[in-house]
Amino acid sequence: MFTIRKRSLILLTAAILFISSSLLCLSVLAKRPDNVSILMAAPFADSTSELVKIFNQKNRGRIHLEVIKGPLETEAISDLAISSLLLGNTPFDGLLMDVTWVPKYAKAGWLESLDNYFNEDDLNALAEGADEGNHYQGSLLRWPLNADIGLLYWRTDLMDEPPRTPQELESISQKLQNGGRIPYGYVWQGKQYEGLSCVFLEIIDGFGGEWFSPDSGRIGLDEPPGLDASEWLNHLIQTGVSPRAVTNFAESEALQSFKSGQAAFMRNWPYAWAELQKNDSQVRNKVGITTMVAEKGHQPAATLGSWGLSLLKGSAHPESTVEAFKFLTSEESQRYLYTKYGNTPTKAEIFNDQKLLENYPSLQSIGEALAYARSRPETPLYAQISVVLQRKLSSSLTGMTTPVEAMQQAERSTAQVLEAAGESP
Amino acid sequence: MPLLILLIPSLLFLVAVFALPLFRYTWLSFHADSVMTGLVAIPNQGANWQRFIHDTRYLQDLFQTLRFSVVSVTAEIVLGLVIALILHQPMRKRALIRSSALIPWALPTTVMALGWRWIFNTPYGPIDRLTQSWLGQSLNALGEPSIAWITTVYADIWKTTPFVALILLAGLQTIPSDLYEAAKLEGAGSWICLRRITIPLLLPYLGLALMFRLAQAFGVFDLVQVMTGGGPASSTESIALYAYWNALRFLDFGYSATIMIGSFVILSSLILITWLVVTTARNRSQQSLAR
Amino acid sequence: MTLELENVGRNINKQWIVENICLTVADNECLALVGPSGCGKSTTLRLIAGLDPVSAGSIHIRGRDITSLSPSERSVGMVFQSYALLPHLTVFENLELGLRVRGVPKPERRFKIKGILDLVQLWNRADNRPAELSGGQRQRVALARALLRDPEVYLLDEPMSNLDAQLREDIRPELRRLVLEQRKPTIYVTHDQHEAMAMAQRIAVLHEGRIEQIDTPYNLYHNPESLFVARFIGRPQINCLKGDSGSIRAVRPESIRFSDEGLSGKLQSREWLGNSQLLFLETQQGVIRMMTSPDQGIPAQIRLTWRAEDEILFDADTGLRSRR
Repeated sequence: MFTIRKRSLILLTAAILFISSSLLCLSVLAKRPDNVSILMAAPFADSTSELVKIFNQKNRGRIHLEVIKGPLETEAISDLAISSLLLGNTPFDGLLMDVTWVPKYAKAGWLESLDNYFNEDDLNALAEGADEGNHYQGSLLRWPLNADIGLLYWRTDLMDEPPRTPQELESISQKLQNGGRIPYGYVWQGKQYEGLSCVFLEIIDGFGGEWFSPDSGRIGLDEPPGLDASEWLNHLIQTGVSPRAVTNFAESEALQSFKSGQAAFMRNWPYAWAELQKNDSQVRNKVGITTMVAEKGHQPAATLGSWGLSLLKGSAHPESTVEAFKFLTSEESQRYLYTKYGNTPTKAEIFNDQKLLENYPSLQSIGEALAYARSRPETPLYAQISVVLQRKLSSSLTGMTTPVEAMQQAERSTAQVLEAAGESP
Repeated sequence: MPLLILLIPSLLFLVAVFALPLFRYTWLSFHADSVMTGLVAIPNQGANWQRFIHDTRYLQDLFQTLRFSVVSVTAEIVLGLVIALILHQPMRKRALIRSSALIPWALPTTVMALGWRWIFNTPYGPIDRLTQSWLGQSLNALGEPSIAWITTVYADIWKTTPFVALILLAGLQTIPSDLYEAAKLEGAGSWICLRRITIPLLLPYLGLALMFRLAQAFGVFDLVQVMTGGGPASSTESIALYAYWNALRFLDFGYSATIMIGSFVILSSLILITWLVVTTARNRSQQSLAR
Repeated sequence: MTLELENVGRNINKQWIVENICLTVADNECLALVGPSGCGKSTTLRLIAGLDPVSAGSIHIRGRDITSLSPSERSVGMVFQSYALLPHLTVFENLELGLRVRGVPKPERRFKIKGILDLVQLWNRADNRPAELSGGQRQRVALARALLRDPEVYLLDEPMSNLDAQLREDIRPELRRLVLEQRKPTIYVTHDQHEAMAMAQRIAVLHEGRIEQIDTPYNLYHNPESLFVARFIGRPQINCLKGDSGSIRAVRPESIRFSDEGLSGKLQSREWLGNSQLLFLETQQGVIRMMTSPDQGIPAQIRLTWRAEDEILFDADTGLRSRR
């Protein structure tokens, strides 16, 4: 009994020694793979997990990609990224960035230029609109993973054609409301947060104005289109076209309201489409999408809200990181992300894919709207001026100030922010 | 001399967690250090302070933060005292009732703030449905500037009253029961017992709860961030939220430091003044009581 | 009789804390309640004060039934073991509180307080807080508060147990004078039998919630009704020896004498008590305590005896006195 046990012990030890020493030899002989890490907001980390697996299989022994799952909300992921970047050596090679962060991160010196990795052909392959917001001061700093744009959702069962002007939207709503066919006309994002700036950008552009031009330093809030936009949003609440509660609506509240059949129109991002087609939706198969309304003679505008991949300064493996970027944003990956998760693609080719368009009819409308994409003012001070605007708009929407005063004050405060930062208008 | 040596570790600790950041922020407040300077500190001759003095947004936030703190802490102390007095009574299953009264305090602030945001949601939350069916009108508890701050105060009271009650309950248990019995023999009712025995003997604990709570309320951040994000019309924006935005969202560390140091000075002087007023008033009332 | 308790009992969760308490206290009489801790003496006091509800029986003061009255309606003055003074108020304010509650106008309050504080010789400490007073002074303030009430009955709950032994002896005559001068029935609770004998005209010995015996200090010592009383009263403790046919013979240590015949024993140890010595003697009946004069020598052959009239007989089963 004792001898058997002793013998088996010796055998086991020998086996372990043999296996471990051979593994050691192999690992010394083979080059260790480049470890590449990318921080992404939770939804993107989830949707790309299959792609990461495929990438790692393809590049076994050469590159190992790890996607770090960050928090859910845009601001939370920004806080996390900034906190780690401020500490110096970044723990990540890449960061999935919101379009509004690019100038700020660039100015802070955290981003590596991508000019050497993407050529003219790559840029030309992007759909119109998707090429916005990736450059700062002439260099390419971000490669888009998806395109996100503000859309006007409308009820196909209540009207034949969607409204094209602000006046039309209002009159259709009122007619439907007066006829008792729907409680509210139009739901949007009126809460004091970034979504309100996105809403406003589309309206001021639709009235033919511009919020702020970083190139010329001109602020367009206290000008007729700015005042018109402010008054129109206020008017929607005053006339009951939009519910009073819209002053605390973010995307999810607006979606909830529209989804339960409470409103004829909704301003939201492309993700809402899939939600509206689900079984619990009251408006399934009764929804169309189009661009935001615009004053006659002006082009509609769609706020660009895309996410893209940036290479962080201090990355040990820039080439491998960019290789991962290229894989994640390839046509094949985009097709997968669109069909599986509804992530709007950025490559023009996909919007022209007839087979895909047959199965996904909304892709065409999104592609058309994408052409009207407008990015928010591309300045490192964007967060400040956006917060100023949100605050003043919220004051006007909740009746604390008049729409005109709100714009005058917002213009003055914006100028002060720019001046304090040494960016005199 | 050996005693002084023994004090060194705690002094070092205090310097590290209190004095160093204070010095660092004071220094930073006299520099431009933002995304525009490439995150390098450049002396700017008090420009931050110039801006701070004229910052009406800060003024509004200061007022709102004080309003939030004073109203919520006052309500929490009064309610906490009532709850502590109730929990102090002998009752069946006292341990169970006492621990269940602490549940709101045990919940993480963000979780409970999310809960209240849903409860006060307009028009789908239960509160709004209630006001719709009873008053025929939506309350719009988080979308109306005159109401939204009260909603945040309410959530804060709900969350931290148990904490105050716990401190006061501990205080109540230190009061010997024969003091009440002696007073009862003299014919004192429950109001006199409360006024002449409970509250005076509870004063150290009330002071403790007040200090803890005021310090926390002045720095209110996560509750407001989750419930309203500072809106509507910035009516719920707090100093902490404003300082945080300046630092992490605007990358303007110079001005963020100015806000923090400025608030530190303002709030410490407010506390000092309050303390002076309270102590002189107490001395005066004691003198008048004695004769 | 001014204070009468008739079959008073207190019951918590079907357990009797005290039961069938019957006692009467006359004007100008101090009755002490003694007994080991947990015997119910403090509970009895609290029942009289109205701090605990009475479950059975009735209490009368001067013929008035106070059984279900509130504490303040009973007209009792009580001195608590801890003195129960409010730490944040001065001596003056502590005394004033009760007068205020009872609506006594301000000039009269001051006059009364001055009178009482003069009586207990503490007027010069009127503006001090309790923490600034000595233990004895605090006790006098607590007594002053009871006196100020001018009650029909005084209740003193271990008023000296927080004082050191020397102070207790010093204060005793003063306390006795102050209380007895009031000519009111007084109940004095203590666990210290010396104090009880010094303060009270009569003593009630409580045991497990019942009164074992109420009697004068002399009778309790010399004619205990039960073995418990015999053992509880008197230090050093009484010697208990086995008697014939299930009886117990109890003999006080000072009654034991050396002799040529009787119980043989061996010296185990001795304690010098100054004016006497206490000997512990090992015998067939167990250890016998013997008190004798300090100059008493120890014989080589120890034999112990005592007079028959010094022996008290008890029934071993019931613990009651058996008369010869």
